[in-house]
Amino acid sequence: MKTTTRLMAVLLLACSALAMALDLDSAKSQGLVGEQPNGYLGVVKATPDAVELAADINAKRRAAYEAIAKKNGATLDQVAILAGQKAIEKTALGTYVKTPDGQWVKK
Amino acid sequence: MKPVWLVALLPLAACTPRVALEAPKDPITINLNVKIDHEIRLKVEKDVDKLITEDRTLF
Repeated sequence: MKTTTRLMAVLLLACSALAMALDLDSAKSQGLVGEQPNGYLGVVKATPDAVELAADINAKRRAAYEAIAKKNGATLDQVAILAGQKAIEKTALGTYVKTPDGQWVKK
Repeated sequence: MKPVWLVALLPLAACTPRVALEAPKDPITINLNVKIDHEIRLKVEKDVDKLITEDRTLF
């Protein structure tokens, strides 16, 4: 019984991680969210799901940037902006990216 | 007549290098800062690349 519960917990965790990856990719391909030069995910179409997803991912990104900044003696902004450049470079064609003057355009 | 002119110019020629010797002080400090910034940038870039390619749930 205990093993079954554990197995179910592991499965649930695996599923939620998978669902998260799907969510970000599909949210991007549906044009709900896009990459911004500041290193954080921006909301293009403000559906409740998109807003929640962006907030969740941005909190995790911020923590990751903070760790990199601390490790290398850089500031959070330096890391975030560098990550923004790279994320825009690497994001798929046809998804939205924000230009430095604040316009959403399709890559 | 000509050698007299050359003697008059000698002190000027001697002065010029002395001024030039003091000049490098500032550029050296600036170069050092640029080098440190560059090193930090390279390290951060490596970590950011790793984060973006490895953490598929965040990017």
